[in-house]
Amino acid sequence: MTSPADADTEVVVAPRPRPRRGVSLGDAGPPIALVVIFAVFSLLSDDFRTLGNVQNIMDAAAVLAVVTCGISFVLMMGSIDLSAPGVMGASAIAVSLLVANNRNDNAYGLLGVLVALLLGSALGCLSGLALVSLKVPSFMTTLGVSAVGLGLATLMFAGVQPNIRDDMLDSWAVQRFLGLAYLTWIAVACVLVGWLIQRYSRLGRYAFAIGGAEEVLALSGVKVAPYKVAVFTLAGTFYGLAGVMVTSQLSAGLVQAGKGYDFAAITAAVVGGTLLTGGRGGILHSAVGVLLVTVLTNGLVQVGVSPYWQGGVQGLIVVAAVAAAVLPQRRRNQVTK
Amino acid sequence: MKFTSRPTAVVIGLTLAAATLAGCSEEASGGGGGGGAEAGACAPEDVTLVGQVRNESNPYEAAWLDGGDAFAEQVGLTQDRLTYDGDSTRQQEQISQLLAGDTECLVMNILPNGDSDTPPIVEGAEEAGAYLVTQWNKPADLNVADYDQWLSHITYNGVESGKQIGDALAEAIGGSGGIVALQGILDTGAAKDRFAGLEESLAANPDVELLDDQTANFSRAEALEVTKTLLTKHGDDLKGIWAANDDMALGALEALEQAGRTDVAVVGIDAVPDALTAIEDGTMTATVSSDGPWQGGIGLAIGFCVATGELAAEDITDEDRAWFAEQFLITSDNVADFSSPQTDEADFECDNVFSRSQGAIS
Repeated sequence: MTSPADADTEVVVAPRPRPRRGVSLGDAGPPIALVVIFAVFSLLSDDFRTLGNVQNIMDAAAVLAVVTCGISFVLMMGSIDLSAPGVMGASAIAVSLLVANNRNDNAYGLLGVLVALLLGSALGCLSGLALVSLKVPSFMTTLGVSAVGLGLATLMFAGVQPNIRDDMLDSWAVQRFLGLAYLTWIAVACVLVGWLIQRYSRLGRYAFAIGGAEEVLALSGVKVAPYKVAVFTLAGTFYGLAGVMVTSQLSAGLVQAGKGYDFAAITAAVVGGTLLTGGRGGILHSAVGVLLVTVLTNGLVQVGVSPYWQGGVQGLIVVAAVAAAVLPQRRRNQVTK
Repeated sequence: MKFTSRPTAVVIGLTLAAATLAGCSEEASGGGGGGGAEAGACAPEDVTLVGQVRNESNPYEAAWLDGGDAFAEQVGLTQDRLTYDGDSTRQQEQISQLLAGDTECLVMNILPNGDSDTPPIVEGAEEAGAYLVTQWNKPADLNVADYDQWLSHITYNGVESGKQIGDALAEAIGGSGGIVALQGILDTGAAKDRFAGLEESLAANPDVELLDDQTANFSRAEALEVTKTLLTKHGDDLKGIWAANDDMALGALEALEQAGRTDVAVVGIDAVPDALTAIEDGTMTATVSSDGPWQGGIGLAIGFCVATGELAAEDITDEDRAWFAEQFLITSDNVADFSSPQTDEADFECDNVFSRSQGAIS
């Protein structure tokens, strides 16, 4: 005999339908492509399949991975972000002038790194605010913020290359833990943090929802604008960190620290299955994309493809990989012209 | 439309304000209409000196403008420092704006962004009667002697510099062993010429083997990644790295440091300050200097001499209208002479301005 109270309880504990997250067959494309490309290069070149080269690939992927973490949130939201070069340039010069360097007597160490990250956040926030308050497409606002960042960087640069003398920052690129450079572990941590945010925070879930159906979310009473600004701020912070990492690698602050990283990161994200239309993919997808792109760059050199051919060959393989990755989702893709 | 009206108004307002400001500054710099200055008619104090390069965030080009300032100070003037951020359109706009102003005694020392940017600049200067010297980039079929106001074009023999550092690298590794080449942007003349120079050097040093050539697009960050990959690929066979510019050489040095290798010689071209420091420290072997400060001064000096009549344009021989200037191989032996680049006033005397010529551009 069941009392009415028991019946109520049963209703409450009934499993609610879970939205389909995680891995489906359609998501397996990029990892399979990664394994195939890795296997092909391993067959073609003895040098490629050495442990040293695998370490090298992981180290080489570090900066791109961090930039891609940032850009993935923006892409999930269905926006686009071209501000990486400017934000990275500004944070690279800022950090190199704040830690021990040859230009001034500053030696703020970790505090300097933190300031550079905050500068990245601020520039990202600026992109977001311009997007939601001026209703300018993200494509344009972020391009503008990139120019602002490069302008800031050029002002701080003032004609003399800042070279860093900070032992801590230098050691990030040189010191190794379990065979990988500290920078690589920082990138791994970023991917992990990015994944946790995406999976477990309201920010991550709303970013997905905005990309999927912004109007539905707005109609259900959610204020979308603050989340958009927050996503761009988060992305800016990742770019700021990437700028610091480039500075650590080169031991010098370069205005051009982030040159080309905007499109490299978008490529990596899309190759990994994070679609430009938004609402699809995620941090782990993008991380696979980063590895794919990096393995490709490394493998073509190891196999000995002439530099005159590499650009074209790399482009073809990327297009093929994207086509293979999105094949299962073709109907959805038709909205992208 | 309501939600767009306010931003639109803001944008229009800002545009108008900017246009007004631009109008004012144009008026201020404007005045006498240009056109056909008589050579040698200018009093020295009436000459306007303009130096234009891509950007000041590049140490070499910043040093170039500093050299221009040094010359200007020498003759009691100041130089207008112009930069166009490597943007061809912006370069042309700046030139048009300059030429729309008072061009009677205008002297321009210009670094064109690319070969194709030179002809419009030359045509503009010819029409406006401004004195023009260009450096580095011009289309091969554009003949300086066909123009009156385009006084001279100066460039450097990339084959020669590529060979010089190739030979220095061969010597540093004891005449035999494996090297790799980091090429510049593959479709630029500088990258092609410098690599051709390396090939000449390799022919002269048969025991030096080129294990690999890759491009790192003149970029420090790309050179770091490519060198890391090449280090894992060639390991201990790699004895030397030939880089088509210093930025890539410095990226290669970082890669060597991260790999814990100290037995690899590295050479580059351009003599940027960091490369000179690296040569002083002994981590880098050699670089080649085109002497940026001299470049910044010499173009203004040639124009100034002609404008003031100390040098007659028709007296400049055809060989001196388009020429290769002298460049200097820097190693640990002579790096101290170059570590604080300075201009020598004697180089800019009117009867001395062509003294560094290594011959006409064929």
